[in-house]
Amino acid sequence: MAVDYDPAIIGRVFETTDPVPVSAEAIATFCTAIGETNPIHVDAAAAQKGPWGGITAPPSFAVTFRNGQHFFQHVPRFGKQGFDAGKDVEFGALIRPGDAITLTSHVKEIYEKTGRTGSMVFVVVRSTLTNQHGEMVAHVDHKFMSRT
Amino acid sequence: MTTTLDLHSHSEASEDSRAPLEAYLNWLKLKRTERPVDGVVLTEHRQFNQEGDYRALEDKFGILVLKASEVETDYGHVLVFGVTDEMTRRFDFANVHLPAQEVIDEVARMGGVAVPCHPGRPNVGLCEHYTHKPPLENVIAVEVLNGGSRRGEDERSEELVRQFGYSAVGGSDSHLVSLIGLCATRFEGEIRTAEDLVRELKSGSYAPVDFRPRRKPVPHATPVEVK
Amino acid sequence: MSEVTYASVQIGDTLGPQEFYLSKDQVRAYAKATGMWVPRFTDDEAARKEGLPGMITPGNMSLAIMSKLVSDWIGASGARMIRLGTTYRQPVLPDHTLTLQGFITHKSENDRTAEMDVWVESEEGDRLVIGTATVHFPR
Repeated sequence: MAVDYDPAIIGRVFETTDPVPVSAEAIATFCTAIGETNPIHVDAAAAQKGPWGGITAPPSFAVTFRNGQHFFQHVPRFGKQGFDAGKDVEFGALIRPGDAITLTSHVKEIYEKTGRTGSMVFVVVRSTLTNQHGEMVAHVDHKFMSRT
Repeated sequence: MTTTLDLHSHSEASEDSRAPLEAYLNWLKLKRTERPVDGVVLTEHRQFNQEGDYRALEDKFGILVLKASEVETDYGHVLVFGVTDEMTRRFDFANVHLPAQEVIDEVARMGGVAVPCHPGRPNVGLCEHYTHKPPLENVIAVEVLNGGSRRGEDERSEELVRQFGYSAVGGSDSHLVSLIGLCATRFEGEIRTAEDLVRELKSGSYAPVDFRPRRKPVPHATPVEVK
Repeated sequence: MSEVTYASVQIGDTLGPQEFYLSKDQVRAYAKATGMWVPRFTDDEAARKEGLPGMITPGNMSLAIMSKLVSDWIGASGARMIRLGTTYRQPVLPDHTLTLQGFITHKSENDRTAEMDVWVESEEGDRLVIGTATVHFPR
């Protein structure tokens, strides 16, 4: 097996980020960028009357929270280029304006495979998003792919 | 009596698949008219599910379920049918650099058949490897029809078959429930077990079958306005 | 149009297909909105220097597009997507029409959930991004 890393990193939390505030403006800008026009995400008055009692972010807003700049000091790299190979997200509490989101991350799995573009190593990082109430907002399994 | 099998599929046991076996079988039952498939072969990536016993599901849905593997070699990916304990001791199925010629010959010696899959695919298909390495010996069949192929890939595989006289099989390579059975192989003989499948693969009496619907032209869409 | 309910959902039901033109401007807007203003998502020339065919769509944006397909299907029914899994198989190049579609593949009485396959297809019919989602229906 070509993949060389310290097995002790699997499961070990390497980062808990500082809380990132969520503004109504950030949600609105995000919605514009993805073409989301559903009133529950963009219209405060309509959202108030809707099922969630106020503006909520679209579910995909959850994956926009990122780790810090020292990410690759903790997460092994196996090649020159890195690509986002996919995400598995479990959604918990809704994200609302005024929330503050923290990420807690660990390396979940590392494996090798071959494909159209050659040999690849996949590193799966599990991040749990928590809000200011301590509620689970999302579990995100992020697959990073490097070509070796 | 013919048997039509989807020879190449991945359940959620393969890390990049999201398809429970039961959902696959339910989908095939639902789509029986458009995809008249008698059975599926689970060809999980880089592993063989020794313990998996699917007789209850077979009985429930009336669809045959056989187990096999997709391994990775120095000539690309290979489907291994008729996997035995001896084979899994002889080769580490998780190794992505297995020696292809040894896999083909040893699997045959141990009573199975190794079939290179998606040969027209870059890097992990035979065609590209044959451009700079000697062709493999003792190849019985290759997968000419693969549901995950991009434009030109299956055509390259067909050219390989013409050049080398390999027999041709088909499979969906599905990683999603709704894609099961879109491509398959119709065998002239009856298949009920992995041993039957190995026997039939050696016979050469089969052909790939394509159940994919015709693609409709894609209409032009209006860009989303962005401030 | 009537809202989807747990009772009304059938295995085999479709989501979409929806045709969607993804412009470079929209990709840049997403990159700016989410702090991903890097060459591969904003500039063709710079992306080619990285060995890419041109600027590409961030994976997160593809996820957002597929998530919206599911949200649109949910409508105002009060149901919620509780899980979304995605695999990015090929770069999604902007300034092309994408087709989004999905199929309901499973229902679970115990959980009141529906599972679905979803994917993004190119003009040539290649599945660029594939995934599955789980939607929960309240009582």
